[in-house]
Amino acid sequence: MISKEEEKDLQQPQILSIDDDYSIIRQFVDGDKSVFQILVKRHKEKVRNIIYITMNNSALVDDIAQDVFITVYRNLKHFRFESQFTTWLYRITVNRCKDYLRKMNVRKIFFPIEEGSELSEYPTPVENNDISRIVMDAISKLPVKLRMPLILKDIEGFSYQEISESLNCEMGTVKSRIFRGREKLKEILQPLEKELMN
Amino acid sequence: MKKDLQNLELLSAYLDDELTQPEKAEVEKLLASSLELQKKLEDLKKVKQLGNRVKRIPESPFFETRLMAAIEGQKNETSGIKRWMPAAALAVVTIIIMVVLKFNPGLIDKMWEDQKVAIAGFYKENLKPVLIAANLTNEDVFNFAFNNELPLDNTRQQYLLLGYDDSGKEFFEIRSSHERIKRESYNEFISAMNLDAQQKQTVDSIIGSYSKALEAQLLVNENNTIAINPNLWNLRKAIFADLLVASEKLNKIKFDRIVPAGITNADKMVVVNTSEKLKSASGDHYIFVTPDSIFAEAYQFDSRQFEKEMREFEKQMKLNEEEVKQFTLNIRYDSTFRYVDDARNVHSFRIQVDSNICRVDLPDPEVPEIPIPGMATIDPLIEEATNNIHFYAYKIPKIEKSKTGIKIEYYNDDSVYSYVVNYNSLNMDSLAEVNPGLDLYNLDKLKSVKPSDDTMLIKYQFDRDYYNRYYSDDEFKKQMEELQKELQQMSEELKNHKIRVKSKVTESPKK
Repeated sequence: MISKEEEKDLQQPQILSIDDDYSIIRQFVDGDKSVFQILVKRHKEKVRNIIYITMNNSALVDDIAQDVFITVYRNLKHFRFESQFTTWLYRITVNRCKDYLRKMNVRKIFFPIEEGSELSEYPTPVENNDISRIVMDAISKLPVKLRMPLILKDIEGFSYQEISESLNCEMGTVKSRIFRGREKLKEILQPLEKELMN
Repeated sequence: MKKDLQNLELLSAYLDDELTQPEKAEVEKLLASSLELQKKLEDLKKVKQLGNRVKRIPESPFFETRLMAAIEGQKNETSGIKRWMPAAALAVVTIIIMVVLKFNPGLIDKMWEDQKVAIAGFYKENLKPVLIAANLTNEDVFNFAFNNELPLDNTRQQYLLLGYDDSGKEFFEIRSSHERIKRESYNEFISAMNLDAQQKQTVDSIIGSYSKALEAQLLVNENNTIAINPNLWNLRKAIFADLLVASEKLNKIKFDRIVPAGITNADKMVVVNTSEKLKSASGDHYIFVTPDSIFAEAYQFDSRQFEKEMREFEKQMKLNEEEVKQFTLNIRYDSTFRYVDDARNVHSFRIQVDSNICRVDLPDPEVPEIPIPGMATIDPLIEEATNNIHFYAYKIPKIEKSKTGIKIEYYNDDSVYSYVVNYNSLNMDSLAEVNPGLDLYNLDKLKSVKPSDDTMLIKYQFDRDYYNRYYSDDEFKKQMEELQKELQQMSEELKNHKIRVKSKVTESPKK
């Protein structure tokens, strides 16, 4: 006899399929704008996390994520159902992050600030043993073109195909950038190798 | 070297399980033969695993709410182009107007004038004499001559009052019925002059002789317009002067009391001539009072045409046995009622408005100096007679005394005042005035109210000399002296009552 608790545990986790997103988008296009909230609920945490690690600044996350979803809301009626919704969503997310990083770099030219001071809400790696923080700071030092595929692969677990579509680049480029990203990250974290790698 | 790099990239992809089966087989073959590659794979694996050590950002419980609010907010905003549409349209219109004005500089003036003509046209429609519309009686016209006041509709809701300010400049007021003066001079006059029925008919016929002139000088319509011919001020004087001259003939003794100086023959001639000319004078210029504005415009009232229409109307009324339609003016003024000062317009009316009275001061040239010489000479005569007739018709104040209090009604200038003093009720206003910060729970500490504080007694300081100067009737003098005595006595009584009221207060238990 299986108890209710056991039955609950045995239940298959609900997996979002392509059809799930498609049907919601169709409802949205047909005029039921309220379903947009379902899409947000499903994908917001992934989007927020990509932004968080890419920008390495929690203060910016919700602003950029809001920007991403508003862009999606405005353009959802043009969605062509030729790719997964998530691919399109993450491409928008990545592009929005790139826009912000570009703006921040421009600002840095005109208002030079000490390296890392924009991340001042976080302790520096030397002072803190938090591995997550150390890794994030190291990732943030990667060039954007290496940073994005590495995050999508090693943190978010995307396939190369998904990364290729999200970043709108060739699979070979993805493969190459992920390897170079890992290499570069290892180089950045070299001083802390012993602590981190063991 | 290139081959090595490709192998390393393959190694990285091998780690991610992203290789085709042949690629995977090739990498595994290489790995089996190279310790270096094995070491490299191990390093890449460690770096890859670092990704698992990165903490995810905590959930934001308010993200969805804020996002949906932002989306709602943006929905209400128009798109970029749409947002600028009104400004762009305004810019285009401005450019068009500038171009048009460049080539037609008088266009605005013309449009303004056209608009004014159209508005004025609306208000000039179907103007008819107040005399007919308000169904004025001889008494109304007589009261107008004596009190400057004329009803504007047959329901007596609104009145026109003509006047002169301190500098002698004309003004008029439109008053609601409860602001009117309410003096029935006609009856007072008949009574004061001791006129019999036949003599009264003479007075009526004099008034009637002005009906035609009056008919054309004050017009109204159902658009709530009042058209006043500036000659109305002069016509009123003429009616008054004419009645004075006639009164002398009707009762010389009584008349001498009213105008002790008498009217010289020369004055009489002036009055007669002036009156005759004013009766036949036709004005073609009116002040239009409307609910929107006040403006002066040329206007020709065709009395013959109106008479014709009236005859036709009366005929139809008889045929259809219709009831006469009630005509009520309903002009409402508020603070927005003002005349827009137009530099091109020579007329500038000063307008003061409250909820019940609209006063309009006329600009300098508005009331014509009567082109009849000598009108100015009868002005002092009219003034003297007006004062004397009002005095002559002065009513002895009515005093009603009872156990509970006193009620007094008296005339002062143009108003009737009524005072009621109730002995048993506490005059809280007076008490409060002498007791700042009045504490109702400590009435025993209140200061007493002195009788001299009562405004009623101050109002009754009659000037005996004033009456003696103008009036020699012994009987009247006697009445006035008695009245003064009575007032003095009343003042004493009141003082006692006040003290009693105070003593009652001191005994009041605390509540």
